[in-house]
Amino acid sequence: MKMQVTINPRLRFHLSPLVWILLALMGIAFVVAMIRYIYGIGAISNLSYSYPWGFWISFDLFTGVAIGSGAFVMAAIVYIFELKEFQPLLRPSVLTGFLGYIMVVIALLVDLGHPERIWYMMIHMNDTSVLLEIGICVMSYLTVLAIEFSPVFFEGIKRKKVAHFIHKFIMPFVILGVVLSTLHQSSLGSLLLIQPAKLYPLWWTPILPVLFFISAIAIGLAMIIFESAVSSRYFHRGLEIHLLEKLAGAIPIVLAIYLIVRFTELTVSNDLQYLFNMDRNHVLMTTLFWAEILLGSIIPLIFFSFKKIRQSPNGILGSAIILLFGMILDRFDVSWFAVRHPDPLTYIPSLMQFNAHYIPSLPELSISVGIFSFGILAFGLAAKYLPLFEDEDGQHAASD
Amino acid sequence: MTNTISRRDFLKLGGAAFGALAIGRFIPPRVAQAAREAGYLDATNSGYIPSMCEMCVWRCGLLAKIQDGRVVKLEGNPDHPHSKGKLCPRGQAGLMNTYDPDRVLNPLIRAGNRGAGQFRKASWDEALDLVTKNMLDIKQKYGPEAMVFSSTHNLSQPLFENLLNAFGSPNYGTQRSLCFNAMTVANLMTFGLEEPERDYSQLNYLILTGRNLAEAISNSETGDLIHAIDRGVKVVYLDPRFTKTAAKATEWLPIRPGTDLAFHLALLNVIIGENLYDRSFVSQYTVGFDEVASAVHQYAPEWAAAITEIPADTIRRIAREFAAAAPNALAHNNWRTSNFVNSFQTERAITILNAIVGNWGRTLFPAGGGEGAGLGAPQQPPYPRISALRLDGVPWKYPFVPLQYGVIQQLRDSIIDENPYAAHGWLISRQNPVMSIPDRKKTLKAFEKMDFIVTIDILMNDTAWFSDVVLPEASYLERYDPLSLVGTPLSVTGSRAFLRQPVIEPQGEGKSTLWIYKQLGDRLGLSDFFQYKDEEDYLNQQLAPLGVSLDTVRRQGYVDLPVGNSDIYKWTTTSGKIELSSATLDQAGFDGVPKWDQPPAPSSGHFYLLTGKGARQTQFATQNNQLLHKYDDEPGLWMNTKVAASQGLNNGDMVSVTSSVGQIYVKLIVTEAIRPDCVYMQPGFGHLSMGLTTAYGLGSSDSDIRLTFTDPISGGQALSQTFVTVQKA
Amino acid sequence: MTDIQNIKHKTFLFDATRCIDCRACMIACSVENNIPMDKTRIWVAGVGLMGEYPNLGRASMVYHCMHCEEPDCLSACPVGAYSKREDGPVLYNKNVCIGCRYCMNACPFGVPHFDYNRGLIDGAFIDKCTMCPQRIDVGLAPACVATCPTDALMFGERDDLLQAAHARIAAHPDRYINHVYGETENGGTSYLILSHVPFDQLGLPNLSSTPVKNVSETVMGITIPFALSWAAVLTGVTIGVHQFNKRKEQIAAEEARAKSEETK
Ligand SMILES: Nc1nc2c(c(=O)[nH]1)N[C@H]1C(S)=C(S)[C@@H](COP(=O)(O)OP(=O)(O)OC[C@H]3O[C@@H](n4cnc5c(=O)[nH]c(N)nc54)[C@H](O)[C@@H]3O)O[C@H]1N2
Ligand SMILES: Nc1nc2c(c(=O)[nH]1)N[C@H]1C(S)=C(S)[C@@H](COP(=O)(O)OP(=O)(O)OC[C@H]3O[C@@H](n4cnc5c(=O)[nH]c(N)nc54)[C@H](O)[C@@H]3O)O[C@H]1N2
Ligand code: SF4
Ligand code: SF4
Ligand code: SF4
Ligand code: SF4
Ligand code: SF4
Ligand SMILES: [Mo]
Repeated sequence: MKMQVTINPRLRFHLSPLVWILLALMGIAFVVAMIRYIYGIGAISNLSYSYPWGFWISFDLFTGVAIGSGAFVMAAIVYIFELKEFQPLLRPSVLTGFLGYIMVVIALLVDLGHPERIWYMMIHMNDTSVLLEIGICVMSYLTVLAIEFSPVFFEGIKRKKVAHFIHKFIMPFVILGVVLSTLHQSSLGSLLLIQPAKLYPLWWTPILPVLFFISAIAIGLAMIIFESAVSSRYFHRGLEIHLLEKLAGAIPIVLAIYLIVRFTELTVSNDLQYLFNMDRNHVLMTTLFWAEILLGSIIPLIFFSFKKIRQSPNGILGSAIILLFGMILDRFDVSWFAVRHPDPLTYIPSLMQFNAHYIPSLPELSISVGIFSFGILAFGLAAKYLPLFEDEDGQHAASD
Repeated sequence: MTNTISRRDFLKLGGAAFGALAIGRFIPPRVAQAAREAGYLDATNSGYIPSMCEMCVWRCGLLAKIQDGRVVKLEGNPDHPHSKGKLCPRGQAGLMNTYDPDRVLNPLIRAGNRGAGQFRKASWDEALDLVTKNMLDIKQKYGPEAMVFSSTHNLSQPLFENLLNAFGSPNYGTQRSLCFNAMTVANLMTFGLEEPERDYSQLNYLILTGRNLAEAISNSETGDLIHAIDRGVKVVYLDPRFTKTAAKATEWLPIRPGTDLAFHLALLNVIIGENLYDRSFVSQYTVGFDEVASAVHQYAPEWAAAITEIPADTIRRIAREFAAAAPNALAHNNWRTSNFVNSFQTERAITILNAIVGNWGRTLFPAGGGEGAGLGAPQQPPYPRISALRLDGVPWKYPFVPLQYGVIQQLRDSIIDENPYAAHGWLISRQNPVMSIPDRKKTLKAFEKMDFIVTIDILMNDTAWFSDVVLPEASYLERYDPLSLVGTPLSVTGSRAFLRQPVIEPQGEGKSTLWIYKQLGDRLGLSDFFQYKDEEDYLNQQLAPLGVSLDTVRRQGYVDLPVGNSDIYKWTTTSGKIELSSATLDQAGFDGVPKWDQPPAPSSGHFYLLTGKGARQTQFATQNNQLLHKYDDEPGLWMNTKVAASQGLNNGDMVSVTSSVGQIYVKLIVTEAIRPDCVYMQPGFGHLSMGLTTAYGLGSSDSDIRLTFTDPISGGQALSQTFVTVQKA
Repeated sequence: MTDIQNIKHKTFLFDATRCIDCRACMIACSVENNIPMDKTRIWVAGVGLMGEYPNLGRASMVYHCMHCEEPDCLSACPVGAYSKREDGPVLYNKNVCIGCRYCMNACPFGVPHFDYNRGLIDGAFIDKCTMCPQRIDVGLAPACVATCPTDALMFGERDDLLQAAHARIAAHPDRYINHVYGETENGGTSYLILSHVPFDQLGLPNLSSTPVKNVSETVMGITIPFALSWAAVLTGVTIGVHQFNKRKEQIAAEEARAKSEETK
């Protein structure tokens, strides 16, 4: 069955104020990055001995990878489970994933002390390091995504034969991509396993990787909804609401599993005492926990359970946004808000860069904003020049 | 020369001495070519050379690690009783003084107005000729007494005193009246010696009256104290501040400033009243017990409690504990005892306390070493007779102040008053009077009276900044000094003279004062008083009677001196005994036995302005040392938390601190660690010299607003006797 | 007493009751190791002044690398920049470091410090206490230990120091907390600490005897087997689904054919 997709191919933001703004933000980020390369990370960020990782890691890495999960979820749905009806959602998700991972890598090139040595990970491997696994997976997965996305590219430049050729051998890459995604989506959680003494007990658990994987699926589904809904509005295309509705139907199941696993674990590891701890030193953690559970799991679980909401364009988008917000909060909690670094002890020689608090600096934020702008611009360009919203046979869907 | 600060320690301590540096293992001495040829330093000019620290007057032994002709690390010399293999923070940072980018490395001659900091580089010849010409002019016009000499204790001081005496001036200023006059004069009055040696090895009970050993560090003694506490020695510590020593002490008593005398009088009252003293020791070795007994009769603990704010029971208990622990007990005579005009009698009470419970010979010994016993010296003629009075009133106004101490704050005041005559020139060596004498504006006023000021220093200190000529001394790692004695109790090992020798070549044009003083002497026509060719010749003459070669001393870093007479129960007082009551004082119209003497106290709204050292700075000399600065705390004014709160002041506020002689601005440090009626500032910050690029602009100087009060007996300045108000700036 | 070179398990013992917070150890370290003025490998930690006038106390310690028996930094570093010498020291190799600062997250003591003030040209690296190999290998105690005026810092054989530490506690049970920090914490460390106040007041984390890296390493251990099995499962599923769908299509096609034939 051919999808009825409408597309308005005019690049609506061509030299529009939005483009200018995006370019300006990228320019600022570029300048800030140059300052960082010359004078050091401290010159542009508030990172410290207490907070070696900050906004970049929580936003660009943890959030970036999480919201890139749509790509592997869609790939699995379409290729592995052969639910071909979802085909129209595949390309945008793969592109989002691809761009998302490029953004992750760009951010890492700013955050790493020695970006020029990033490839050392491939020659000096320390097999106990979770970060090594993530590094290798992310780099490999980026390659896989490039391969998965390349047919679209070749179609775009009218090299359909190449596209077809690649397409023939896509399956092993799809499987590899899903495996790599499973690994690094979960390993992002494993990254914090080494901090049992620092991460607040409501978050630290040996099954962090499992929780991360399950939530990545929920995030992936929500991202596909979000992306389709937003781009349909922006590009004035029709919304594949019946598809999205079907996808969304899976979300309550995933979230239910997530909640069961998470609360079972809290019970087993005897951490229930923290659930309602309103003590001065704990109330913030308690609040964050419930905020992410409510927004990321409970509310979306309820909302997505209603067919009415799933069928309403606003309802489905709103619910997806709530889920994403809650789950991104979880990523921030795990990698930043709920991490308690060694106490910034009360008296230390003044030169010590211990900070009791960490608030990202403006230049630091500007890096992430610049990279994000790049992502949006790249997506827009791809939407204009590549057959993003076309079916996989490369034929224009009946449109216009 | 008085070897005032000579102490010893013979304790062999366990603990962390694993793998301490042993001299024999290292390639020894000599800086230049010769050292290499002799095989001391290897082909790259690397090795270890023993010498002595000069970051404070404790003068620990050190081993300098040399690499490619540079000092790269300093280690404590395990052979030296003051270091025992360790160096304190200042000692560790010492090489940064030598390599301070702000070092003065050439003779400088003032090029602009005084205090404007404009100098031009000059050759030694030009600078020395200029100094000589001015000194001779002054001598000719106004007599030699118009030339003032001042210097803070250092190893070349005998030669400085030589210059002064040969020149014929009586006017000599040292740091001593700002520092320890009360203590040393009290010891002289009681024991006939400046400071007995303390021995912690048999100690069971210790009273420290504001001797902040954990911060005002005396390397080995600081270690002794901590080891003593470790063994369970009870330590009672009196200080209006909760210092780091207070934190280690068994008991901290936040005594009201200026009332230590009342506390000690009450201890005497209990010990004598309850018959807890050592009768046989008292009758055998002391005079004047009865006078003391009747004088302290009135000072019951209840009386002292009201004055000191220490409960009577506590005082009584401490008296009993102290007496019970005696003779393995010690009331420490402290060091900087320039707190109140009654500090001298406080110190007297402490000496008496130690004497009557018989601590002598157990925790207190005669100082070892003596006056360079056994060392030779160059020949010299007798000094010219000096008829002029001393400007500082010694001895005509201050009969008990030794000539080598002087009363520098009085010297300064007399210069301003031109009383009894005017002074016209000032030669200052290794001293920073602009910062160290109370009431800084007055000191600068005294400078204005001068036609000519010359300062010998390693840095552009504040005094140099206001001078006409600055002569650069080679740093302590770059020069020789005369051999110095470090006493150990005569009964134990005899004494040792340690050598300061250059471990690197002097940078720039820096020269030792042995050289500078001789140059000045020669030019002033006083060569007979400086009969040595150079530093090594001077040392050879010192060693001549011992028959030891300089090379040997260079290699091991010290020379052992013959064991002296070891009768520890002979005192050089008039009576030959310990003088509990001093007839000498009585005859001069002072109290022969200590009596309560109420010092002034701040009126309401005013605070005592306390002072006291911090562990990472020495006096007014090291604030420019970047390594010390790196690990130091930010300077400021301490104020009690509750008081600050009641005045609406917060930590970090800029406040104005006002006394009757001036006002300063300083950052407030709010802390629980100080009595509510006191505020405190660490000395040494607030430099005026912009030639100190690290230190300039850091903190403020309490000396700026301190009042001058001199104790008529010891000549000691009363530093805690300045009262201030504090307002939000 | 064994020469320092020959100590088999080199260890520090720090006694907080002896430390006067003079920081000679820190200056010694800076000079010995040529540490830049804006950096330090060793610092003061603890609550400092405690209590209200006049009931006051003080708690501080000298903090540097614990030289863990099971170093978490070493486990975490993706490029293996850390190594542990058999005789104790945990060392860092700046030549392979990529500057990810994961070791800083991993170390429960906050020991590795990154150079935030240097860019690509000067090279920004991690720095941390090395136990002064250049000294211990020639028989000298580490610079910080050697200069401590109060012997608050000591150095020696781990077993000896543990014994000495317990002996001190036994001799003065009223003075010390009855525990030698580092004996078991995080799997044992080569920096042992005696204290008069609870260890958290010195700024030390409350750690079990299991090294913090354990769970992480266990998970890493099963990663490759998991990845391989997962790949196999996915391949299986893919083929299965494909076959199933094909079969379904076939059946459908056959049925359709049958139907059409029927209708014929
Ligand atoms: N780090 C370091 N060590 C040093 C020096 C240095 O500059 N830096 N200098 C050396 C020299 S020259 C000296 S003289 C010694 C000095 O060493 P100390 O004799 O210990 O003298 P301060 O540190 O000046 O002051 C000690 C304490 O006296 C307290 N105090 C003030 N007024 C009173 C009072 O009326 N009664 C009592 N009981 N206490 C009072 C102050 O609060 C302060 O804590 O240190 C030597 N060691
Ligand atoms: N407010 C306040 N005033 C005080 C005190 C206080 O605690 N508070 N303490 C008092 C006490 S205890 C003392 S002892 C006095 C000390 O008072 P001063 O002796 O005047 O002060 P220092 O800072 O010791 O001065 C030493 C000078 O010698 C220089 N110097 C260092 N090394 C060398 C060298 O090798 N050669 C030469 N030629 N110069 C060198 C230094 O740069 C410095 O300028 O201050 C007293 N005044
Ligand atoms: S106590 Fe410190 S500054 Fe003074 S001589 Fe010894 S090491 Fe040097
Ligand atoms: S203290 Fe930290 S840096 Fe040191 S060995 Fe242990 S984990 Fe590594
Ligand atoms: S910052 Fe360097 S040493 Fe630390 S984990 Fe990363 S690569 Fe390893
Ligand atoms: S062992 Fe060496 S590197 Fe470590 S803190 Fe001590 S002096 Fe510094
Ligand atoms: S040198 Fe010793 S006493 Fe001083 S701070 Fe270091 S450990 Fe403490
Ligand atoms: Mo002094």
